[in-house]
Amino acid sequence: MSEKSTRRQFIDRSCRILGFAAIGGAAGLLSHRASSNAVYQVDPGKCTACDLCRTSCVLSLSAVKAVNQFDKCGYCMLCPAYFDISSAPNEKAIPSGKVCPQDALKRRVVGRVDEEDPNNNYYEYTIDETLCDGCGKCVKACKPPMGNGSLRLEIRYARCVECNECAIQIACPDRAIVRIPVPGLSPAVGAKEDKHA
Amino acid sequence: MNSNKVEPRRLSLRERISKSWFPPAGVAGAFTAFVPAAHGARPDPQPASPTAEPAASPAAGQAGEPARASRRLEREYALIAVLGAKSAALPFHHSLLGIAVGAGDSIYALGDDEVRVYDSGGNVVRRWKTIARAGCIAAGPDGRVLVGAGNLVEICDAGGSRVGGFAAGDATKPARITSIKAYGKEILVADADARIIRRYDTNGRQLGLIGNQNKTGSFILPNKSLDFDVDAQGVVRATDTGRHQVTAWTIAGSPLGKFGRFGMTNPEDFVGCCNPVNLANAPDGRIVTAEKMISRVKVYEPDGKLLAVIGPENFDPNCIHIHLAVDSKGRILAADPVRREIRIFSLVARKGNEPTGELHPSAHGKLEEVTRG
Repeated sequence: MSEKSTRRQFIDRSCRILGFAAIGGAAGLLSHRASSNAVYQVDPGKCTACDLCRTSCVLSLSAVKAVNQFDKCGYCMLCPAYFDISSAPNEKAIPSGKVCPQDALKRRVVGRVDEEDPNNNYYEYTIDETLCDGCGKCVKACKPPMGNGSLRLEIRYARCVECNECAIQIACPDRAIVRIPVPGLSPAVGAKEDKHA
Repeated sequence: MNSNKVEPRRLSLRERISKSWFPPAGVAGAFTAFVPAAHGARPDPQPASPTAEPAASPAAGQAGEPARASRRLEREYALIAVLGAKSAALPFHHSLLGIAVGAGDSIYALGDDEVRVYDSGGNVVRRWKTIARAGCIAAGPDGRVLVGAGNLVEICDAGGSRVGGFAAGDATKPARITSIKAYGKEILVADADARIIRRYDTNGRQLGLIGNQNKTGSFILPNKSLDFDVDAQGVVRATDTGRHQVTAWTIAGSPLGKFGRFGMTNPEDFVGCCNPVNLANAPDGRIVTAEKMISRVKVYEPDGKLLAVIGPENFDPNCIHIHLAVDSKGRILAADPVRREIRIFSLVARKGNEPTGELHPSAHGKLEEVTRG
């Protein structure tokens, strides 16, 4: 004589099955995420350089750094990301103030040097990442129409500690921090230089 | 640590500059205060309804003064018409990349992958599809229409039929054409990659270079764009944006002179990293320039004396170009590629040193009445 299951037993069994499925799914998702070669990165199309990358990162000196894209850079003599072009001009009619509060944006003349007239020179701009705190002031100043938009913010993998939930991603009002798969990237992203703040 | 301290809003660079140049109410406010109320000055610098029809008629001064668009300098300009706007019968949907004035003051506009020809009344009389990647346009006095696209020059007749073309640049390094002009039988193209102007005949044979006879052997172009114009005497004027200068050259390539410098406070100066971005010659010898960062158009004497400013309230603040052309009556045509509309400005008449509040007679076609200053 076969035993007919009661409604209570049926519900009990269904709940167990659903529970196991949920636990299994979550475990699979977490293990996939832990083993996947994906990193947090800034989407330059969405980033507004709002300064939250500097203040929200768990590191004492943010893992977000400004990066210059040289093929877009105009090598300007009067770079609006380097000079505070609204500051008072000096005796050579060059603005006296700088945009970067950390003085992390460095420049040097490239090519032939004309010492008499700096307008004839091309200047290469690079970021000293030991000083850059990711405030994005230079990025904002370089955006068109002021500049060519060659500067952008980027998460440096060598510094990022790969939090389970990126604090900057949570804080970012523009949803500019995205998780992107990087084929071939070692799970050990790089030497972690900084401890948590 | 995050600070919760509330700081007063910091004015943007544009706002700071705008405030230092113009009174709080802006340019329109300045003119409203300047022109007696009896003249019926309209504070709104925009036309009541942007259409393809000219906003000001010969009776504009009686019915209501045309909106004034420029700062009070030696010259003043008023917006008289807007072509190709969203509300027009034939708006530019995707792009507006260039403008030129041809014979009979016909207006040639490049946008939406086609060339549109407007008559002097602002009506579209012809249109044709153009080649891919077209980026600049010119109209010759003989009716030829030239279009630059990448390294290619396309030559069309007045009806839009292709009559010729060639590839510009060196064999190993093709040109990147950002501006094109006709001078007699010659075709001049601005090669922004080589940072020089190249002269060609109609068969594509290179005749010479302009802009290489200076200290660096080229223009300095941080914005990666070069614009120029050539007048009937063969004087080529070009934007040297990295040096913040307008430079003048003979057609053979010898330097004639230059004016301009960087500055953020004097309206005579050019702002930002790289300006002026666009340029056009006026028939009376004046030079019209356009700037980015502070989107504005200025009129200069050939020696660099500033005559007029058409202020930033007339253009989208995100313009990185304002394409320019000037017709035989001295009207300035400015193509705003962000708003995708062609704005036409005309000189405001003066009595002595005071503006009369009416358009200059030249706006109505009496070129002989154009006066200097």
